[in-house]
Amino acid sequence: MAAKRLYEGMFLVDSALATADWEGTLAVVENILKRADAEVVAIRKWGERKLAYDIARKTRGTYILAYFKAEGPRITGIEKDVLLSEKIMRVLILGTEKRPPEMIEADIKGLPRVEPVEGPPEADDSDRRRDRRDTGRNYEPSGGRYAGDGAER
Amino acid sequence: MAFRQENTQRTQRTTTTRRRTGFAGARDQTQCRFCRGSIKYIDYKDIDTLQKLLTNRGKIYSRKRSGNCAGCQRKAKTAIKRARFMALLPYST
Repeated sequence: MAAKRLYEGMFLVDSALATADWEGTLAVVENILKRADAEVVAIRKWGERKLAYDIARKTRGTYILAYFKAEGPRITGIEKDVLLSEKIMRVLILGTEKRPPEMIEADIKGLPRVEPVEGPPEADDSDRRRDRRDTGRNYEPSGGRYAGDGAER
Repeated sequence: MAFRQENTQRTQRTTTTRRRTGFAGARDQTQCRFCRGSIKYIDYKDIDTLQKLLTNRGKIYSRKRSGNCAGCQRKAKTAIKRARFMALLPYST
């Protein structure tokens, strides 16, 4: 019997489904965790946003963040259950040993992160090495960074 | 002889001024952006931070470009790849 450890799990579900039946969606996630004998510490909606790329022809997704205590070998069971589930699109389960405890607490409470965030390395893109297929015909010299999610090109 | 001395002096002056203008900003930052803020763990959910390490095509900036130390670049790499899997960041655009 392995000891139970704290894990962080992020579940990605379709936004349409989550808005239509939030309780039901949460129940699906909880049920999967219960099947693996996991003790749920916290579960909350992390956010609803446009996906960086389409998954199963869906463009928007709702992220559910859960902290739970489970035995290590049972994690694969959770991942397999998610693969079989039609409601959950993706899951990412990580151990929390390397994370500072105050970061986990802030995550559970859903506090906004207060970290010294600095600007991009450089705004200019003059020494940019072009991508191989980028012929330069549609090249727009706009900043050195990705234009944000959902910017159609 | 006198002409030669004058000439070397002139070249020295130009090189020093060039160095001062070119590297003034870069010399101030001796640590990488994560080490400066003493950040131990780079979270994949922190998209705003990770976005700054990507090109507008979604590629990861080189260490030379981002200024990260080897350890932090590695942590950032894992975080970006996790975020890509969860469709928080693009693989490519």
